[in-house]
Amino acid sequence: MSARQNLPAGFEALVPFVARWAAATTAERARRRSDSTAEERQTFFDAAAPRLQAAMAYLDAKPLPELDDADKRLLNLMMGFSHVQMAVEVHRETEPRHAAWREAMVITHSATDLA
Amino acid sequence: MNAQTQTVFRPPVDKTAWLGTDPIPARPYYDPAYYELERKAIFMRSWLNIGHVSELPEPGSFIRRELEFAEASLLIVRGKDGVIRAFHNVCTHRATQLVSEAEGRANAFICPYHMWNFGLDGQLRSAPEFENFHTTKEDCALKQVAVDVCGGLIFVNLDRNPAQSLRDYLGEHLVGRLEMAPVAQATGFSEYVYELEANWKMDYDNFQESYHLKFIHSRTGAPSFTAGNPFGHSQTYDFYGPHRTQTFWPHVDMEAASPIQQAILGAAVTFMTERGLIPNPTNREYYALFPNFFLLGSPTQHFSHVVYPLTARKSRGVVRLYWVGEPKCASEMLAREYAFVVTRDIHSEDVDVIRAGQRGMNSGALDHIHFQQMESLCRHLYLVSSGMVESYRDEQAAGGEAA
Repeated sequence: MSARQNLPAGFEALVPFVARWAAATTAERARRRSDSTAEERQTFFDAAAPRLQAAMAYLDAKPLPELDDADKRLLNLMMGFSHVQMAVEVHRETEPRHAAWREAMVITHSATDLA
Repeated sequence: MNAQTQTVFRPPVDKTAWLGTDPIPARPYYDPAYYELERKAIFMRSWLNIGHVSELPEPGSFIRRELEFAEASLLIVRGKDGVIRAFHNVCTHRATQLVSEAEGRANAFICPYHMWNFGLDGQLRSAPEFENFHTTKEDCALKQVAVDVCGGLIFVNLDRNPAQSLRDYLGEHLVGRLEMAPVAQATGFSEYVYELEANWKMDYDNFQESYHLKFIHSRTGAPSFTAGNPFGHSQTYDFYGPHRTQTFWPHVDMEAASPIQQAILGAAVTFMTERGLIPNPTNREYYALFPNFFLLGSPTQHFSHVVYPLTARKSRGVVRLYWVGEPKCASEMLAREYAFVVTRDIHSEDVDVIRAGQRGMNSGALDHIHFQQMESLCRHLYLVSSGMVESYRDEQAAGGEAA
């Protein structure tokens, strides 16, 4: 396992999704959602949804400035998941059409990009 | 029947009857000549939101904003005295634009052409060989633009002598509401921007009416469509001079789309409550400030939307979700990310129908369009803007100062 992809203990099952979904900025998370296939989204959703609550409880136990690299990766992964949730649970089969519409809405500033 | 017990929607006809029922001329929504009148009658002399005080955190902080409809580039600067000033980004020597950065910190603005050096207060501090000019430094200060702040929102007015102060323009009620809305305390924001082949009113009107929600936002808006209010209409409208508000339906029976959505949004409500932003008299309100700004009071999706005209048939929208304070924990960060994702997803659903409406307008096929009761805010925008165009025409006919 590459150190650049590791996650805090207990979240090993999500490591295979880090490279694809734990992007560092909102704009990149949005882009990856739009560039993904329905199968990729569903596989990630199925793996992450049952672990969301535990991940947030783990992260919330630390003040944000004290999150280490693995913690930040987990938070970025969960923020990536929040994009995928809209695709999988709300737009469903219409997600490709929505991806095309979203192209018009250019993300110019985000307060949730981790330093 | 009050808001708490009302369960079946009825149009607020008592609030809207005064607007009349006439069809609305179509030409103002696509005609370049009419747009030119609007540009001069409205945009060159109305207060326009251009930023937020959180963008100017300390003395020397500046932002540059382009207003294409005026071919103007503005510098908005916090001075050493803490005062926010706005200037044309134009050297008073030979008009060279001074600053190319979109934002930053500066002690002075120095023209790249001949090194004229301006203070943060706009005064010309020094210029090489100035003794060879035939003017004074006092006469060479940067050209100032009227600027004021309400609810943390920065407004400018390109009129050299605005007819009203910002506060008089907004009126006591709206000033009070903006000052108590979360945006007044905001410390940061997330933003997306779009350019659309649509007249500014075509774009703006889409976001003033609830008639389309059921069809265009059938899934993203599903929680708002309830048995007693199947279109998710607003409860009521109010009008304040050229401005207007709507009060959203009290969705006591609203359900989130899924348990995950419920968990993230539920956490968001908890954080907002802890911050004292819920409850707030602005929570269910929508504030439309003439001509091109609105703010949603909703604390979890507290966004402003400004539509800047580019041409008669093109506009730019800037949507900002404002945040109060740094996130206290990872879950608050996730809640903010998700609010941004949801808002952007919903807005993106509108793009195609707005464009299609503009293409239909451009054909000239229609002489008139029609607004129903629940499009009364669109009707009000037309009545106010066309009234200002008429006044401007009258001024011109009476030999008033040419714009």
